Amino acid sequence: MRNRIPVATFLLSASVLCGTLRAQDLAVHLDGDYLRVSLPHIDFLQGKPLNRLKDGGSVAFMGLVTITSTPTSLTPIARSGARFALSYDILEEKFSVTKIGQTPDSRRSQSHLSAQQAELWCLDNLGIDRSELPADRPFYVNLDLRIEDPRDQFGIIGDSGISITRMIDFLGRTGRGSQPHWLKSSGPYRLEDLKRIEIKGTRG
Amino acid sequence: MPVLLRSILLSTALLGTVSSLAAGQAFVRDVAAANVNQRYSIESISLGGVELDRMEPAKLPPSLRVRLMALIGQKCDMAALADLASEIRQELHFRSVTERLLKGNGPDMVKVDFDVAGGGFAFEVNVPKLLFTSQERATGELDATVAFRGNRLMVGAVSNGDDLIERFSGLTARFDSAALGTDRLHASVAVEDYREQWNIATRDAVASESDLYRSRWNVAPQLTFAVAGPVTVSVGASFEGMESETPGAGNRSANAGTLDVRYGHKIEGGPVQQRIEAKYSLRLATRALGSTYAYARHLISFKYEARSGRHVASDTFTGGAISGDAPLFDQFVLGTSTALPGWDRFQIDPLGANRIVHNEMSYGYRIGEGMVEAFYDAGAVWQGGRQPVQQPTVLRHSVGFGYKQGIFVLTTAFPIRNGRVEPVFMAGMNY
Repeated sequence: MRNRIPVATFLLSASVLCGTLRAQDLAVHLDGDYLRVSLPHIDFLQGKPLNRLKDGGSVAFMGLVTITSTPTSLTPIARSGARFALSYDILEEKFSVTKIGQTPDSRRSQSHLSAQQAELWCLDNLGIDRSELPADRPFYVNLDLRIEDPRDQFGIIGDSGISITRMIDFLGRTGRGSQPHWLKSSGPYRLEDLKRIEIKGTRG
Repeated sequence: MPVLLRSILLSTALLGTVSSLAAGQAFVRDVAAANVNQRYSIESISLGGVELDRMEPAKLPPSLRVRLMALIGQKCDMAALADLASEIRQELHFRSVTERLLKGNGPDMVKVDFDVAGGGFAFEVNVPKLLFTSQERATGELDATVAFRGNRLMVGAVSNGDDLIERFSGLTARFDSAALGTDRLHASVAVEDYREQWNIATRDAVASESDLYRSRWNVAPQLTFAVAGPVTVSVGASFEGMESETPGAGNRSANAGTLDVRYGHKIEGGPVQQRIEAKYSLRLATRALGSTYAYARHLISFKYEARSGRHVASDTFTGGAISGDAPLFDQFVLGTSTALPGWDRFQIDPLGANRIVHNEMSYGYRIGEGMVEAFYDAGAVWQGGRQPVQQPTVLRHSVGFGYKQGIFVLTTAFPIRNGRVEPVFMAGMNY
């Protein structure tokens, strides 16, 4: 029994640490010419990022959807990534989200959202073009969602040069993985078996 | 590896770093620009919960207070607020400063509070300057700074092969006091200890080996007084000693009184933003202070800069004269990264000179976060006064272009000689 306590403690700790990875099914569907993902019990706006938003600041998320031939493959067949800037209207108490594109024209925004609507909007805007999906073999879909704290990049380079202390602090925090991070995979899928859901709007 | 290839590889690596950092900074600006609260106006600003107009004057530097007050009534620019938070952290030595928005009393108004933590003490290690050139000159500095209660103690290591005839490497320390009674008065003490390396051209040209020193050290106390708005005056002393390379020659000293007068003024508000900077420095070494050398070194510089939209034009003039017999570290030099870049200083004058005139005109065009710049330099150094004329006075020219992004600079300079084009590449930051 005594030997089992550390194992139990480890499992309990792991389950707490991976609370953000709790059993959520990564659902996949076709929306027109795009494969899109959704999480039924999505909740990534929490903790420090949420506090930062409620203080009127900005929080950036990086989302990446990859298609792989096996659940553990490191080489994606296709990928689609996007960066999102979220903010919270402190007078109207509503969220706003912007997909930051490579060009100003590719930027799109949505405001007056609840926290959950903002989260769903981010996922809805992570699509992979159907033509990039393998038509003749099964594939797995992976979602990698992480916070990019824009404040981390401030202060490393300034008029007084490169701050080594801030860089060490930044790299240390990155290395310790203190930034919230969500990973989810599901599959295998076949293109012809995917459920079709048509949602009107201009997304990509 | 050939020098040219090494320079290209170095420039490519630096360009990669610059573009990567630039992309990061651009992303930060994009995220801030997308903040929905940018449409609101700022009703009031507070620091640690205390509104600016209720804060004691001594607790906030006047220039920072003016900049913060200027934001009231303006739209809530989140990038500007983040920059100011970073500046407050550095100026007031807090561990962290975070900008927070609160509901204002008026319609579409917000209050800004800079939330501060860990006040009173700060520790920072910086690389303030780096320079590599295809002439195989490298210069770098590493500083550690402790700030407490408005005082600042900096200890640094430096190896500089760019500014003087000699390469000097060693340790520096500097203490800057908090305001002494009034915001206008500050004191500082700098201590330096260097080992010297001499170019073979300098060794060949020097009249006596005893003029070369293997090490030098300096203790320089100074008082700085902000006379009025744009003018500051610094008065101090410099007790500089040198250990001769010649055994038995003993130590020499260049103990001097020092004076610096600085003027800086910005003209903003119109379509063209202008900046004027002027400086006069005097170093008066006298035997009354126990100095081996007795001389007076005068240096004036004047810079005018005009910005309009994406265009930046500037002109910088420097002129200097030394009367008396000055040690080599105080001689004037051309052929550095900032004065007649591209020229070999040892070809111009391997011992430096006691007269200098130099002018640089530059034009820059801002592209995204960076700036493409072209420049034209002209200058001359010569021996004046009662010094024997060693070389005829020649006005030399160089042209070049570069790319600046924040503190990072890549430059290619072309010294204009008869029929020969030998570009010199320089890469670094804050030079």
